Amino acid sequence: MDGNTGSRSGDDVVIEASGLNRTFGEVVAVEGIDLAVTRGEVFGFLGPNGAGKSTTVRMLTTLLRPTGGTARIDGHDVERSAAAVRRVIGVALQDASIDPLMTGNELIRLQAVLHGISRSESKSRGAELLARVGLTGAAGRRVATYSGGMRRRLDLALSLVHEPSILFLDEPSAGLDPTSRLALWEEVRRLNTELGTTVFLTTQYLEEADELAGRIAIIDHGRLVREGSPADLKSTVGSPTLRVEVDPVFLESARRVLIGFGPARPARENRCAIGLDGGAARVAEVVRALDDAGVTVSHLELDLPSLDDVFADATGRRLEGAEK
Amino acid sequence: MSAGAVTGLRLAGVQTLALTRRSVVSEWRQLGNVIPGIVFPLLLAAVYTHQFTRVILLPGFPVVDSFLDFVLPASLVQSVSFGATEAGTELARDIENGFFDRLRASPCTRLPLLLGRLGGAVVVATAKGVLIIAIFLLFGAEIAGGPAAAVVLVAAAVLLVIAIGGLGQMLAILTGSQEAVTATFPLVFTSIFMSSAFFPTNLMSGWFREVAEANPVTWIIDPIRRLVLEGWSWSDVGQALVIPSVISVATVTMAVAALNRKLSSS
Amino acid sequence: MSVATVDHSTNLGHAGMVASAICGRGMRRIMARPTLIMPVLLMPLIFVLSFTGAFGSLTRVEGYGTDNVFNWMAVYAAMQGAVFAGVGGASTTAEDIENGFFDRLLLTPGSRVPILVGTMAYSALRSTIPTTGVLLVSALGGLRLSAGPLALVAVYVATAGMASAFCLLGLAVVYRFRTMRSMILIQVCGFSLMFLSNGQVPIHFMNGWLHTVARVNPVTNVLRFARQGFLGDLTWSMTWPGLVALGAMVAVAGALAVHQLRRLAA
Repeated sequence: MDGNTGSRSGDDVVIEASGLNRTFGEVVAVEGIDLAVTRGEVFGFLGPNGAGKSTTVRMLTTLLRPTGGTARIDGHDVERSAAAVRRVIGVALQDASIDPLMTGNELIRLQAVLHGISRSESKSRGAELLARVGLTGAAGRRVATYSGGMRRRLDLALSLVHEPSILFLDEPSAGLDPTSRLALWEEVRRLNTELGTTVFLTTQYLEEADELAGRIAIIDHGRLVREGSPADLKSTVGSPTLRVEVDPVFLESARRVLIGFGPARPARENRCAIGLDGGAARVAEVVRALDDAGVTVSHLELDLPSLDDVFADATGRRLEGAEK
Repeated sequence: MSAGAVTGLRLAGVQTLALTRRSVVSEWRQLGNVIPGIVFPLLLAAVYTHQFTRVILLPGFPVVDSFLDFVLPASLVQSVSFGATEAGTELARDIENGFFDRLRASPCTRLPLLLGRLGGAVVVATAKGVLIIAIFLLFGAEIAGGPAAAVVLVAAAVLLVIAIGGLGQMLAILTGSQEAVTATFPLVFTSIFMSSAFFPTNLMSGWFREVAEANPVTWIIDPIRRLVLEGWSWSDVGQALVIPSVISVATVTMAVAALNRKLSSS
Repeated sequence: MSVATVDHSTNLGHAGMVASAICGRGMRRIMARPTLIMPVLLMPLIFVLSFTGAFGSLTRVEGYGTDNVFNWMAVYAAMQGAVFAGVGGASTTAEDIENGFFDRLLLTPGSRVPILVGTMAYSALRSTIPTTGVLLVSALGGLRLSAGPLALVAVYVATAGMASAFCLLGLAVVYRFRTMRSMILIQVCGFSLMFLSNGQVPIHFMNGWLHTVARVNPVTNVLRFARQGFLGDLTWSMTWPGLVALGAMVAVAGALAVHQLRRLAA
């Protein structure tokens, strides 16, 4: 029985998986997943529907046994020390795990009992959490009367009752309106920066991964296809495209200037386009160089590669349900 | 009969047949529903036969070789009652999920909408009835009235199914809820017990006897049982067929009236 | 920086709190939606009324054991209600699994067995509702406490035990198949087991295969134990076989349930 709680040499890895596999009969849902998430990170797991995100989360949170490979949470093996894993994690799954016949307060209290938190402490924790997710007024009502967004917020509150150091969020903003989504992002950021909570979040929304995650892993058909920070991933698909529109009389001069900043790319009439080596940081230089050459620019735009481009580059398809 | 009336009748017939087929297929698919309707009554009959061996010797009990002969009508009625509310629940389901509105918008006349479903229940009930009687005969029961009596038995049971089915459909139209119709099954189940099905009323006492004697199920079971135990009698045949027929006509008429009210009000 | 890092897996106090929280949640659900308990209460009442009404004359048969049929049938109906209550407790878990709430319970940091124990306790508590209902109605029919208050102790112990056993059996099935529909299997098993016993008549009234089955059926001993207080005094010779049978049923069902719970994450 593994008892030690986590510290390793070098980076403090709190979520690690090695060759994680899960099959359901003939179907291979997840194959060969390797992960290492360090303490205090916000890690994003991005992929389309059916990619294997929820299956991976269920394996990491001891709700599903892997068919192969290993995983450790805070140093505890998910199969052999499952109870220890559950002590340190908070989980909010894709379908809010709540009982519609209970009230918000009753659910908080039950969650507290399950985690061995005393009545008095659970009262104060509960009040604080419900206030954070904006459910203080509704806490006395049965969950059946809550909207979908309210249920998710309650689910998040429930996952935080025992102040876990590691939080798993499975598609947390699916079905939320834009305002609720922004509020959720705020709360995730706060948990991470103020409390140092490690967050493992799965999503199919590019924007969410881009906004929240320090590092992202892209999963498709059960396999990891890319991994890295959003910026690094985007840079792997090449440099951004700089498009400049000028008066036809300046076209040649513009081209001569721009060619010094990167390779030419296809462009429309009256426009020049290059792949800007060094990225957006060099736009100021380009503008100065054009100015020095006496070129008047009427329009300039910089197209950064998106995570959708990263996904397309890795898999040959666009992400389904991607938000633009 | 005018040409128009003939084609109208033929159309109604075709529509009824089509809806019957749909209803039979759907019942077949729900074989899980049909099996309890056969196993449960047989289990009851088997258990009672082996635990009431002394009971049949009570003075006042009809003369029988075995409780098996006594309980045949009860098992028959109980078996067909298991699917009897199916027509109603199906109708309620169709109303709940909007299929009914589509049917109504189609050139389907009113009566086939109800009869078609009952048609399915009738087919299944006939099959069950024949099966139950066959199994009873296999285990040594005897029908004194002969094969003709057996036919009357099945016919009476089928008429009872139409009666219950009509009631269920009326409920379905009035409430539009599957749950309401399904809730009638316990009532049907109990009313079979609160009759002469499992015990002769002359050996009952008190308020229960009064309830049992006033129960239409008793009025059907008694003549059927006499056909089984005593032999053919036209008056028993008459009673066994007329009473459920009257009830069927009444409930189906009420269902059609409810349907007309619902369709004309919306 | 988490707070609750106490190891709960061997903490009995924590296990007790979890079990009672689960039990309490179940009882609060009944108060939140009282219609949940209606079938569990009504079916046994229907049974006791139907069976005592239809088979009241059994008391005229020599050797029945009592002159009031309620003294024999009431306990049978109460125990049938307990079986329903037990299965109903497992159905709550089936609902939880279907709507995802069970995941949250599975994430408890301690052992998961207290969740199972809590559900069982909830079923046992639940069974007091139909038992009390049946006893009250039967009192109106002349039910006699021959052994005084001890008669009530025996029947409440028996029904709580039956409810627990069937809840655990139901949980074993639910953990394995994870749907509400799988509960029907247990309902049918429970009903059949109750039926193939001395529920309605003493064993010496039976013959053939029924006699053999009823003799080996553990429910027979439980019924004897539960019923004795209404037929005479409580004796140890009638009590210990019933307690052993109850204990064995709970133990076997419990082992199955725990085994399936452990396999649940697979």
